[in-house]
Amino acid sequence: MAAILEIEGVTKSFGGVRAVDGASFSLAAPGIYGLIGPNGAGKTTLFDVICGRQFADAGSVRLAGGRIDGLRVHQRARRGIARTFQECRVLAEETCLDNLLFAAQDKQLSRELLRMLRRACPQPGIVEEADRLLDLVGLRRLRAEPAGNLSYGQRRLLEIVASLIGRPRLLLLDEPAAGVNPALLDVLRDCLRRVFTERQIVLLIVEHNMEFIMSLASHILVMHQGRVLEQGPPAAIQASRRVIDAYLG
Amino acid sequence: MTALVEQIANGMMMGAIYVLVALGLVLIFGVMEVLNFAHGVIFMAGGYVCDVVFMHVLPSYPLAVVATVLALALVGVALERVVFRRLRANVPMQIVASLGLILIAENAAVLLFGPSALQLTVPSVRSLVRVGDLTFTVQHVVVIAACVVVIAALHLFLHRTRLGTALRATSQNAEAARVIGIDADRIYRLTFAIGCALAGLGGALIGPLFLIFPQMGDLPLLKGLTAIVLGGMGSIAGAIVGGFAIGIIEAVSTLFITTDYRDMVVFAMLIAVLLIRPWGLFGVRVRGDA
Amino acid sequence: MRGRAGAVRPATGMAFAAVLYLLAPVFAGSPYVLFALTLTLCYAIPAVALNLLLGYTGLVSLGHMGFAGVGAYVTALLMKNAAVPFAPALAAGTLAAGVVGALVGIPCLRLRSHFFIIVTLAVGLVLFLLFNNLDWLTGGAAGLPGVPRPHPINLGFAVVDPRRPVGFYLVAATLFLLVFAVQYTLVHSDFGRSLAAIRQDETLAASRGVDVFAHKLAVFALSAALAGLGGGLLIDFLRAAAPQSFGFLEDINLVLIVIVGGAGSLFGPLLGALLFIALPETLRIADTYRMVLFGAALLALALSAPRGLSGLAAAAFRKLRPQASA
Repeated sequence: MAAILEIEGVTKSFGGVRAVDGASFSLAAPGIYGLIGPNGAGKTTLFDVICGRQFADAGSVRLAGGRIDGLRVHQRARRGIARTFQECRVLAEETCLDNLLFAAQDKQLSRELLRMLRRACPQPGIVEEADRLLDLVGLRRLRAEPAGNLSYGQRRLLEIVASLIGRPRLLLLDEPAAGVNPALLDVLRDCLRRVFTERQIVLLIVEHNMEFIMSLASHILVMHQGRVLEQGPPAAIQASRRVIDAYLG
Repeated sequence: MTALVEQIANGMMMGAIYVLVALGLVLIFGVMEVLNFAHGVIFMAGGYVCDVVFMHVLPSYPLAVVATVLALALVGVALERVVFRRLRANVPMQIVASLGLILIAENAAVLLFGPSALQLTVPSVRSLVRVGDLTFTVQHVVVIAACVVVIAALHLFLHRTRLGTALRATSQNAEAARVIGIDADRIYRLTFAIGCALAGLGGALIGPLFLIFPQMGDLPLLKGLTAIVLGGMGSIAGAIVGGFAIGIIEAVSTLFITTDYRDMVVFAMLIAVLLIRPWGLFGVRVRGDA
Repeated sequence: MRGRAGAVRPATGMAFAAVLYLLAPVFAGSPYVLFALTLTLCYAIPAVALNLLLGYTGLVSLGHMGFAGVGAYVTALLMKNAAVPFAPALAAGTLAAGVVGALVGIPCLRLRSHFFIIVTLAVGLVLFLLFNNLDWLTGGAAGLPGVPRPHPINLGFAVVDPRRPVGFYLVAATLFLLVFAVQYTLVHSDFGRSLAAIRQDETLAASRGVDVFAHKLAVFALSAALAGLGGGLLIDFLRAAAPQSFGFLEDINLVLIVIVGGAGSLFGPLLGALLFIALPETLRIADTYRMVLFGAALLALALSAPRGLSGLAAAAFRKLRPQASA
């Protein structure tokens, strides 16, 4: 059984600076994984390489055994990679429900054009599915509200469930706790746990908020100077001398 | 051979005009991220204002040019405050507003001065200069000289004065500039003032050589746009190189193809640059460009 | 998207179509008004085309009348030189414009927003210069006069004669309704929803599985084709194809029609065309004064109503009915 996500020897440079320098790891089983590291460790770049916003200079990225290096962002999305953004992106003019329905829509161009000509009906049961996911994060009552009217924290939650409705195998979250009111962090953490229970997939979370990620993830990967320094359960990482040195050094 | 040299010289002169337009465009775009499509009518206004001042106020061409530059600088400040400040992030509405300004200005010109062209006869157009086999008017030389002076002055301003440095800082990072105490609004007003002054200068300088008419700014606008794309959208050096390049290429091309197609050469160049190297000669390739 | 304001219910749609057709006999006695309305419809079609691009997908094309010109000249040449009847000639013109649109779109749609706007401007200008200078093909600055009107159409219960004002108006109305139906179908389809997503946030759309480039190319080609259809209709109405109909000022005019009418709304293009084409024709104010007033109106609009007339209307509508439902 191939690992869900496998990174091997990934290298990426920007104008002479090696942002990622031979990073390798393998996420075999479903779980909540945290990716941490000091500033400039290469986390965001690695993220971008995984989801396709950047192409690696060297190395390979495998999803469930298949190489996805050459695929563009939308192709990887269709293979089962979903992501949220640090700046939290939703379709502001659309309602929460429409945000989810759009995320669930089959967006292959040729099929869309055919459906247009045949005036096809929407997928059965998709509205119920969307409502269930909105319920999961407590946004059910806002289903008809344009996403732009939501508070930042609410938009975060919307973004997360919208990423899930397409049944991805891998969900990448880019600093989900950033900008969220501390009072709401518990709600966010709860939601992510519930999400994981609901859909047993791989959640890979880049985070700076240590308390948040340590209490949420079951496995932590630490990046430093472009590669994976150490990985293990939160307790081990927090006690690790090497990790502490990396952050302080 | 003489024909080639003649065209190069003509090209440098037209190039100088394009450089003035391009510098105005690139400053406004670089500092405010506003594509000022109304730049052409500012150019046109420069021609008319110079004519009015010369014919009815002071019969001194140099002073008329100075008056024009000052007048259009004030117009620039007004435009920034009344129109473009509110539209900073809104490209479609910038276009609508610019087009509105074009309609107002071009038709107001027709109402005030009539649809036919004006002629501005100044001494420097009557006196001639001979270089070898070729003859040029003094105005040709004046245009090129004025452009060189402007480039030098602009460079000194941007790199040797506090205000100029503040302007450069704002163009690179408006937020950071604000944080260190630069009044961004004041910089925007200044940028528009300088940009419009340059366009007005262009109109005032070209007026005596060709005619002054309401649509005289349309093609210079498009060629100025081409120049800044060719040179790189935020680059002053690019605007200068681009402007002269277009002027010369355009002039030299008339040796090989009819004048009908001369404009098409420039636009075809624009398309080619955008498709091959959209960040231009001196621009910086941004993550996300093709 | 699904709950969007501007949805047209079937009954409303039928009423709208009925009104459009009934205008013909109502104004049959006033050829001037009928002329203005027909001209409006001729421009409303390219306006719908540009609306799909600008209003729904967020792509600003400043040279779109160039594509209308491609359709116009192909239609005119086929009808004049090859005696092809109107319908197939118009179809050919539409197709040709679509192909040119696709060819232009492939290299140009990769460009970022400011650059894309400038390149569309340049393409429009190049097309105009070609229309104006390829004398042997397009007749140059003089254009192609003497384009024939379609032959009378026998519907059984009536005969529609496009050689007369009422007849041609009905042809124009039919074509406009067809294009409107295309717009409506597209906007309410999944394809339309993907375009709306691209307009709102391209990066997000891509990360959710939208092939942004392919979608943009598809709508760009369609938009060019529909503009070509409008162009073919226009020159048949005017009985002549001339380059001035497809130059810089016409490009500007089309953008204004769409933005001022209300980009991204179903009726915006028609409203804009009525304002910019029908109104000036019927008011007969001196050209230059009218243009100054227009310019001022545009400025005022840019500064105060970012969603155009349709937006103003929609906002007013919402104010009158406070419990607007999704």
